[in-house]
Amino acid sequence: MRALCWHGEEDVRVDEVPDPELVNPHDAIVEITATAICGSDLHLYDGYVPTMREGDVLGHEPMGEVVDVGSAVETLEEGDRVVVPFTISCGSCWFCEEELYSLCDNSNPNAEVARKVMGQSPAGLFGYSHMLGGYAGGQAEYLRVPFADVGPLKVESDLPDEQVLLLSDVFPTGYMAAENAEIEEDDTVAVWGCGPVGQFAIQSAWMLGAGRVVAIDRVPERLAMAREHGDAETIHFEEEDVYDRLMAMTGGRGPDRCIDAVGTEAHGTGLMGLTDKAKQQVNLEADRPHVLRQAIKCCRKGGTLSVPGVYVGHADNVPVGPLMNKALTVNTGQTHVQRYLDPLLEKIEDGDIDPSFVVTHREPLERGPEMYETFRDKEDGCVKVVLTP
Amino acid sequence: MSTDQRGVTEREPLHGPNSESSRGSLERGGRIAAATVGGAIVALGIKRRSLGGAAAALAGGWLLYRGLVGGRSGDESFDTDSASGDGRLDAVDASDAVETTRSTTIGASPDEVYERWREPETMSRLYGGLFDVTARDEDRWHWTASGPLGATVSWDTQVVEDRPGDCLRWESHENAPVSNEGQVRFREAPAGRGTELTFRFRFEPPGGSVGAAVTKRLEIVPESLAAVVLDRFKSLVETGEIPTLERNPSARGAGDLL
Repeated sequence: MRALCWHGEEDVRVDEVPDPELVNPHDAIVEITATAICGSDLHLYDGYVPTMREGDVLGHEPMGEVVDVGSAVETLEEGDRVVVPFTISCGSCWFCEEELYSLCDNSNPNAEVARKVMGQSPAGLFGYSHMLGGYAGGQAEYLRVPFADVGPLKVESDLPDEQVLLLSDVFPTGYMAAENAEIEEDDTVAVWGCGPVGQFAIQSAWMLGAGRVVAIDRVPERLAMAREHGDAETIHFEEEDVYDRLMAMTGGRGPDRCIDAVGTEAHGTGLMGLTDKAKQQVNLEADRPHVLRQAIKCCRKGGTLSVPGVYVGHADNVPVGPLMNKALTVNTGQTHVQRYLDPLLEKIEDGDIDPSFVVTHREPLERGPEMYETFRDKEDGCVKVVLTP
Repeated sequence: MSTDQRGVTEREPLHGPNSESSRGSLERGGRIAAATVGGAIVALGIKRRSLGGAAAALAGGWLLYRGLVGGRSGDESFDTDSASGDGRLDAVDASDAVETTRSTTIGASPDEVYERWREPETMSRLYGGLFDVTARDEDRWHWTASGPLGATVSWDTQVVEDRPGDCLRWESHENAPVSNEGQVRFREAPAGRGTELTFRFRFEPPGGSVGAAVTKRLEIVPESLAAVVLDRFKSLVETGEIPTLERNPSARGAGDLL
């Protein structure tokens, strides 16, 4: 089959690779009909995620049709149309039973590698480094889905792919980000980063009762999307000082809830931004925690900081003193996608939201390598790319 | 063999027949054992591509090098079967032994967990890809490690302590080329979390004291081995299968396997 494979920094190619096969009894094989490129794929593209291997199949936002199921699969059969969450979860361990699906104990075959870095291993993910499973991803014609009774969401309505595809990651991720922000009625919520996760965090903040949403970015079309689709007030961080502006907007209190939907590749400004970039280049620091620092500084005393943005390792100069003295709450985590599938699908089916508003580019799989570059460079108004194999 | 009042069975360690192997085949057996285990470690290390993996590859590479240098003149496919040859390395003494202990929590009762460990096919599933393990009978396992150039090294272990739902201990044949012993203990976990399983094993690595020092200092190989075995066992009990990258599609030619 054809698949988008990682060959190194800024080197993604369409390769011919072996078709996936059923290996374990709970496996299913899905023929992919639509598959997206995620912002966190850019951390792989730019070479910041350790334990990638040349030849790895990328992609963790796929959907398609079930073409084969293992002997133990009970809920799926050939012909089912499914959205596949990026988290692989066994459904049987203590964490899955607690609905903490992204912390599954049993889905990472390379758990010991993750354990050496983090102390314990989170769940395996599709196409996202060997430390997090090493599983082939879904930017391909076919995908092997382990624990197929637990992950894939059956879509029985005739909604087009584009409207349900983003349930695989960015829509639930934005929603969990807003939930993790612990929004109370009429709160002011600030969202750093207006990529797809930021856009869905904005939408979800309204759903959860926000009184005001402020969106921060530097890409004009993303800011425009946040204003038009998300009804947010916006701050262009290269044109205005984010702290000063937020204080002016909130009577000096700061936003009640802050969401860092950026993660490791924040475009920091000033000396600290340059220092981060330099340290990251020479491996003295894994992440550029610019947004984390800014959010801690801006957040209202006793407020909440929610971090859906992907960080990969260690970061320097995170202001722990301010975090503690201002009594902030921090909530983090990869998305427990399975927890949100049914309720969010219901919102789409009820017409409360059409997630396809973020999709700006629709291309065949063959154009994947160029699309990684276009998306990374925010060229051509690119906010979200959907590929069809 | 004796049974105490609690129904606990104590067994004597197995003592196999001593062969009249020459000093030459002794050394050769040791080198093959070093190369074999070293090769397996390199494979593991390279597969991981992490810091720990790199260290494992280094340790394994050293053993592999030690094992292969000087071994060229001998019969490369020499098989140090524990029943026929004394392949124990002369350079290894008790201080070279590597010991490791790891724990995990499994969502099933101590009795269920014990039963699962005792199922005949469990060992081969836990060690698959690392060693080939077959059950000779319910208390005796036969282990084989395969290395480069078709070399293999094998040994037997015998259960020497068996307390259902509590603990199980086994030891290798006295003259095994890779002398080792292991133990699993099962304890009820708090708050209904199931069973806390503690796995301890000890082995005298081939490759002499230098190889042992490298292995010991890095604390990579036995640690990783124990972790892999425990992770696989936990998944097997909790989900009925072991997560795997076998036949994983990739643009590396042969999937995810080396």
